Amino acid sequence: MATPGREIDWAGETGQVSRLRGVAFELACLAAVGVALVSVLVLLLYVATDALRPFSADPGWHLVFFLTLVVPTLGTAVYFYRLEEPAGEVAYATTGLPVVGILFAAALAVVLDIELVTALELFALLVATLVAAGIVVVHGRYRPGAALERLGVVVAAPVVTVFGVPPVEVIRALNGVLSLIGLPAVSGARLPSLRELILLSPVAPLEWILVIVSVTIPVAGALGLFVARRRENRRDGLAFVGGAVAATLLAPVAGPLLGIGSTGWVLAVTFCLLPPAVYVEGVVRRNEGVHGLAFPLVLVGGILLGAVLVRQFGFAPPDSWLDWQFLTSAHSRTPEDAGFYPPIVGSIMLLIVVAASAFPVGVGAAIYLEEYAPASGLSGKFVELVEINIGNLAGVPSVVYGLLGLALFIRAINMPSGAVIVGGLAVGLLILPIVIISAQEALRAVPDSHREAAYGMGATRWQVTRSVVLPQAIPGILTGTILAVGRAIGETAPLLMIGAAASVRLAPNSFSDQLPAMPRQIFAWSSNLEPEIRHGVLAAGVVTLLVVLLIMNGTAILIRNKYQREL
Amino acid sequence: MANENLNTTASTESQSTSTEDPTSEPLVEQSISVDSERSHTTANADTVIESRNLDVYYGETQALQGIDLAIPENQVTAMIGPSGCGKSTFLRCINRMNDLIDICRVEGELTFNGKNVYDDDVDPIALRRRIGMVFQHPNPFPKSIYDNVAYGLSVQNMDVDVDAVVEESLKKAALWDEVKDQLDKSALNLSGGQQQRLCIARAIAVDPEVILMDEPASALDPIATSKIEDLIEELAEEYTVVIVTHNMQQAARISDTTAVFLTGGELVEFDDTNKIFENPDSQRVEDYITGKFG
Ligand SMILES: Nc1ncnc2c1ncn2[C@@H]1O[C@H](COP(=O)(O)OP(=O)(O)OP(=O)(O)O)[C@@H](O)[C@H]1O
Ligand SMILES: [Mg+2]
Repeated sequence: MATPGREIDWAGETGQVSRLRGVAFELACLAAVGVALVSVLVLLLYVATDALRPFSADPGWHLVFFLTLVVPTLGTAVYFYRLEEPAGEVAYATTGLPVVGILFAAALAVVLDIELVTALELFALLVATLVAAGIVVVHGRYRPGAALERLGVVVAAPVVTVFGVPPVEVIRALNGVLSLIGLPAVSGARLPSLRELILLSPVAPLEWILVIVSVTIPVAGALGLFVARRRENRRDGLAFVGGAVAATLLAPVAGPLLGIGSTGWVLAVTFCLLPPAVYVEGVVRRNEGVHGLAFPLVLVGGILLGAVLVRQFGFAPPDSWLDWQFLTSAHSRTPEDAGFYPPIVGSIMLLIVVAASAFPVGVGAAIYLEEYAPASGLSGKFVELVEINIGNLAGVPSVVYGLLGLALFIRAINMPSGAVIVGGLAVGLLILPIVIISAQEALRAVPDSHREAAYGMGATRWQVTRSVVLPQAIPGILTGTILAVGRAIGETAPLLMIGAAASVRLAPNSFSDQLPAMPRQIFAWSSNLEPEIRHGVLAAGVVTLLVVLLIMNGTAILIRNKYQREL
Repeated sequence: MANENLNTTASTESQSTSTEDPTSEPLVEQSISVDSERSHTTANADTVIESRNLDVYYGETQALQGIDLAIPENQVTAMIGPSGCGKSTFLRCINRMNDLIDICRVEGELTFNGKNVYDDDVDPIALRRRIGMVFQHPNPFPKSIYDNVAYGLSVQNMDVDVDAVVEESLKKAALWDEVKDQLDKSALNLSGGQQQRLCIARAIAVDPEVILMDEPASALDPIATSKIEDLIEELAEEYTVVIVTHNMQQAARISDTTAVFLTGGELVEFDDTNKIFENPDSQRVEDYITGKFG
């Protein structure tokens, strides 16, 4: 209650607190955002226009697709955003999952195609691993107490089934060392592993059948287990696996019909159909954002309808540089024939090496630093110093890592110059600090109270790490690693340093082949004499690289969102 | 039980030490007079945990000073005292959770069933499997309710019927009726009080001998608190319970024995709960209990 007559100094003309500085600051920040966005957008538009040449199409073509594709999809997207957010998430995931699946399937198809790994090798590896796992499980069942013996079995079983006694790799490394010090190489009798025995078999089933057994069944099995667990019904899980296998068995009919071959069909079903199916089942069962399922339908329907209409009216599509021919052929001197296939394959293989080298080392280092390393005393100070320096390593220019790769892998241990493995290891070193730091952050985000609870139950440190810390940290670790690996495939400088060739005609089919990589090829095109290559083909390459990056970052975001919702 | 002998020796020892105690505590002038009574109260139960001249340091600062006390079996022992006086520190000494803090150093003796838990041959992990702990803030794992209760069984590799143990533990923790239809739901969807009872169920699932509780009800509303209090009284029939609390009424209601710590990390009085709350020996304890000092 106001006392009458008292002056009111907090309203009216004279009662305003000046906010001038605040408003000016806000506007300045807004302007900064604007500048950043506009400059990136202009760049992207510029590149996209060069690569896709949209203006070479009939205006009618644009009109048709605008009406059938752009308007409906934008409309549904805006609708989801404004009125039904869960549906928007579902729309995002159901559109994104198949795309990621296609990428996966394509990567595996390429791997099989260039015979980096054959289907038979995959099969042999799977059988050998399963047998090893079986031995370990059976041993655990019959002798649950013998911890040391168990450790021995865990090490010995895979050696016997997968690597052979003694492993080829060990002999090779030994011979390498022996030849360095001038001694003759050893070669004695060795017991081949189960895997090698399978590879020796004179008859093998057709490739697509092997792929069903060694890829589809494990993937479908894992997903089926998940389905069974979620629906609390064993039969549903089995039905899922059965359905999946039945769908893949259509391969000899459906594959050639679609022009992707039997193996292509099996891979497409395994990676593009199964994960989305599980996701859609979850959405329908929870009845949460079901409307979002309409989005991919609108998208695909729009594309199909547009294609039909365009053909009906005879509108010419744009003559873009980025087309099927571009994605499937190698560099050529004529711009029309120039393609990006070897660099795409090379970059995939580079990714494999990068992930396989940086992930285990980075995550292992992060786990040690966060969970095991002493925090106080002299050694604590030392650990702190190490952590600071890892932070510094993340900022070291990539050229330096290239130099390191050159010195370490090529000069010191004589790996072939410009090989896939060398490039992968050098780039792996480059992102290692980023992987360590992001994994450390993910581990640090696990509340200490959970660790204490586990220790209080009498858990060992290993049990705490494995059953409490890692399950919670894995999504964060994965997100960080995917983002780091995304950065890795765009790196050019280290590849220049390790002598990656500018243009490679043939896709590599082993890790010691010459590495063609997307950024390296783009760099080479930038100085090509042909203006159409310098502008058009180069832009198409850039767009391809950006799309791959975008998909990887989208996956990382999807994982992060899902994880945050579950928390 | 094979420990029976140890227990009796420990308890006789505790009596002899407790007669010496008060003289080493110059601040409590009148405590000599309670002596006979105190040995009387501790004598009717075996001693499970006993500390003798226990000092705890965090780096240079001393958190506990020469603590001597004996915790009787199958009873509720309460620890009260102002914030920062070292109650949690003492509790964490018992199951060696302090080992997790690098700068923490323990001197003196703390025996469990007659064996010093700070002996070199003691495995703190094995020790913690015998002494369960419930924390101030409910800290269920982000796993299903079932997996939370079964966690201890799996880390300790216990060869038991997991379903049965989970059900029994949840029943003992007075939670079964509320969650029996949602055992596979995330434990994080439970209310705070339910989560805390889940943590108690998790602690008793592995059938420890002692349960340590650090302010288990401080984050809960009165109804949830009273449920936990009922639960603690029931648990004391099977387990030895040591509970830290800031709530005087709670300590008076549920405990059989009470230890009063005061600022500086000293144990000022340790006696039968009724005695402490009705007729404490020390003026400081009386002031603290009546709220004049804290
Ligand atoms: N991790 C630690 N590092 C350094 N000092 C600590 C640590 N934990 C506790 N202390 C110190 O030890 C003393 C006792 O702390 P403790 O947590 O045992 O008190 P408390 O009686 O449980 O208090 P509260 O009732 O607030 O929980 C305090 O002075 C505190 O500052
Ligand atoms: Mg405390």
